[in-house]
Amino acid sequence: MADDKTLTPGGAPSGSEPLTPEERKRAQVQDVDRSLYDFVKSEEGYERYEDGLTPEIVRSISARKDEPDWMLQMRLDALDEYHRRPMATNWGPSIAGLDLDHISTYVSPKTKQARDWNDVPKDIKDTFDRLGIPQAERESLAGVGAQYDSEIVYHNMREEVAKQGVVYTTIEDALHDPQWEPVVHQYFGHLIPMTDHKFAALHYAVWSGGSFVYVPEGVTLDYPLQSYFRLNAAGAGQFEHTLIIVEPGADLHFIEGCSAPKYYEANLHAGAVELFVKDHARLRYSTIENWSKNMYNLNTKRATVGADAKMEWVSGSFGSHVSYLYPTTILAGDRGSCEFTGITFSGATQDLDTGCKVIMNGADTTASVQTKSISKDGGINTFRSSVVVGRHADRARCSVSCQSLMLDDISRSDTIPAMDVRNPTAQVGHEATIGRISDDTILYLMSRGCSEAEARTLVVNGFANPVSKELPMEYAVEMNNLIKLEMEGAIG
Amino acid sequence: MAAAQNVMEAEAEKPVAPVAPTVDLGQVNLPPAQTWNRLRANGIDLTVPQLSRKGDVYFALPRLFDRVECGMGQAVTDWVTSQAADSTYVEVKAHTRRTEPIVVAIDADAGQVADAGVMVRTGAEATIVVAVRGGAEAATTSGALVRVIAEAGSHVRLVEVVGVGAAQQHLESVGIDADDDAVVEVSQYLLGGGTVADGLAVNLAGDRARLDLTTHYYAGGHDRLDINHVARQRGHSTRAQIRESGVLDGAAEKSLRATIDLVHGSDGSVGNEAETVLVTGDDVVNKTMPVILCDEENVQGNHGATIGSASPEQLDYLCDRGLSRREAEELFVRAIFEHAIINAPTAEAHAVAVAQAERVLGTEVAHDFDDAAALVDGEASLDTEASLDPSCPEEE
Repeated sequence: MADDKTLTPGGAPSGSEPLTPEERKRAQVQDVDRSLYDFVKSEEGYERYEDGLTPEIVRSISARKDEPDWMLQMRLDALDEYHRRPMATNWGPSIAGLDLDHISTYVSPKTKQARDWNDVPKDIKDTFDRLGIPQAERESLAGVGAQYDSEIVYHNMREEVAKQGVVYTTIEDALHDPQWEPVVHQYFGHLIPMTDHKFAALHYAVWSGGSFVYVPEGVTLDYPLQSYFRLNAAGAGQFEHTLIIVEPGADLHFIEGCSAPKYYEANLHAGAVELFVKDHARLRYSTIENWSKNMYNLNTKRATVGADAKMEWVSGSFGSHVSYLYPTTILAGDRGSCEFTGITFSGATQDLDTGCKVIMNGADTTASVQTKSISKDGGINTFRSSVVVGRHADRARCSVSCQSLMLDDISRSDTIPAMDVRNPTAQVGHEATIGRISDDTILYLMSRGCSEAEARTLVVNGFANPVSKELPMEYAVEMNNLIKLEMEGAIG
Repeated sequence: MAAAQNVMEAEAEKPVAPVAPTVDLGQVNLPPAQTWNRLRANGIDLTVPQLSRKGDVYFALPRLFDRVECGMGQAVTDWVTSQAADSTYVEVKAHTRRTEPIVVAIDADAGQVADAGVMVRTGAEATIVVAVRGGAEAATTSGALVRVIAEAGSHVRLVEVVGVGAAQQHLESVGIDADDDAVVEVSQYLLGGGTVADGLAVNLAGDRARLDLTTHYYAGGHDRLDINHVARQRGHSTRAQIRESGVLDGAAEKSLRATIDLVHGSDGSVGNEAETVLVTGDDVVNKTMPVILCDEENVQGNHGATIGSASPEQLDYLCDRGLSRREAEELFVRAIFEHAIINAPTAEAHAVAVAQAERVLGTEVAHDFDDAAALVDGEASLDTEASLDPSCPEEE
């Protein structure tokens, strides 16, 4: 367990050692402001490809990574698909402010990937120090990958975990390893085809960075692995690809974090996450997303789950200007199960379209979806989901619960679930509520000495509690801090 | 070989039946907020008989009705208004109760299309009945467009009973505008047919306006049922209660989109929607999309959906009493038709429900319902006479 002075991203510290200024900032919510995430480092000396999307740029990215031919061909096919495929116009938030002609798809600091933080360039190390990543690694993680703009700058894993046969590396390194290149070839792009949607095609054309994780049969990791994605460059895109294979009977908790400083030009995140959870295995995938509010977050995540296996999603979405994010679970094997627990907080200038998809194909599969959303200061929240029960999913069971909280009358909250049931023995239930904090509750708390702002924050934290309790303690604290951050100035 | 050639020649000499011109309406019955197109749940693609010929004159409703949003959308409104030979306008005078229901009867076998507008003036009461009866083997398309303006304090009851044949297609598009304190009660009985598309949009524009919508549906065989319900809550303290329930059998396909739209300014409003679906067929496709759109803080929106088969406990209970699984499930189907027959307010609606019950459940069962309805009618008429409100004069 972590020692007394536990402090990871945003975590509250305790213990006798004096706190550094950054630690104090993360710990004391009253003092926290956006500067924790909103700091910019110079791009001087970085390699930055010209804005736009051309076959030459795609070939350059591939050549830079010295990729096998099949990967280059996949990128070029994806580029064609991107240009061919229209964007749906009848649903979802507007992405009119996103112009690929003004986005650089590849920006890289001139540094090699390190296994020791001391080998990471000072300004980049400083960035991750401020975000609390190295300390989290020391205290509560089995391994860390840190991506800065388009490339992984740090990757390391505890030795004892490596001895169990666990592989945690970058996709690029796996492609250069004769043992793992065929595995990547077999799984990469298998779950999320490039034809899935326009931005999936874009992803496959220009992907860079991300993680490759392989957990051998029967291996349980006692600590999570974490990848952290930082986009520092203005007017750039981040397109990391995460590929995780959890072999039969294995158990993994993977944490994904992301942030970026705020600019007045659009940034783009179009990553892809492909998760293979084999029979009797379990995977928990936790995300705290805190992109800056100029970010278009068009991310795609998908898991396939084998027989008697379990997939758990824990998702907190706080940042981004526009989000399209719907982690998908395919319950392919019999008795597979899925839990999705998510919260989305939408404030001023944000239009977040989030939710999840569940496809139940195996018999006796179960799925549980619980989501919360909070809207304030003109923010727009849309919960969008689909549950599809296939013809062979005998006795499948699914319940979806969605609760939305409106904190003022200039915000908006929509709930758009869809269910498609094709098996007569399945049972699917859905419930949703949208409402506000009752005046009685606020008055009660104020009568006990809280200010109105404190009372509202208390209620919102309580509302979010079912989600935060699913996170590791340090991340739950970070999430609560983010909520308090967002709630600052919510009154008056 | 020679004989075969003669047959071919004979067929070649047969007069070729003229193919009726059709028009593709594209996706209609769309909800205010849509979702992933690959789910194919946003609407229904319909092809209908060609629009009217140039030079024909059609008589439209007063322009006032153009503002009424109808559930199936403008394309269907345009199609119906150009197909209906005439439109029917009925006005119910202020502060009167119209005891005679306003009936829109459609003969689906003849491919009839009706365009009706009803103005229910301040404080008035009216009952509107839409009865759509089909059953012929010929493939026909029928349509009903009903637009209602319910002025302040009025009370509108709308009963729709739809039953058409397996090869037939019916489009039913309804729009209701409700002013302050208006009460709108809608009872729908969608009792099966080849393709039945039903769209209902209710605009609770006035303060304290209310909608109480109950839908009972049955679809079996290869029936296609597509429903789009929209409740726009614009006024202060409006109320919308939407309840849908039904049974799906055989290889029926059903899509239900129900939207509660809490528009900015609908302070104090509450919208509730709930659907219960019983699936009894192995090849059923059931799609449900219950949507809440919320652009106001001090409101409540709730929805729920339960989709599944009869529980083993329920079936065991019924089987213990001598029923097979099929018979037990049929009880749920019978309940829908019985409810429709008992609650049919006019002879036309009653005839539709009985005819469709005969088609689905057999003549004997349908007649049993008929007898039961006669008994209930007798009791109900006594109740009605006793409850007449003398303060509300009847319209001549």
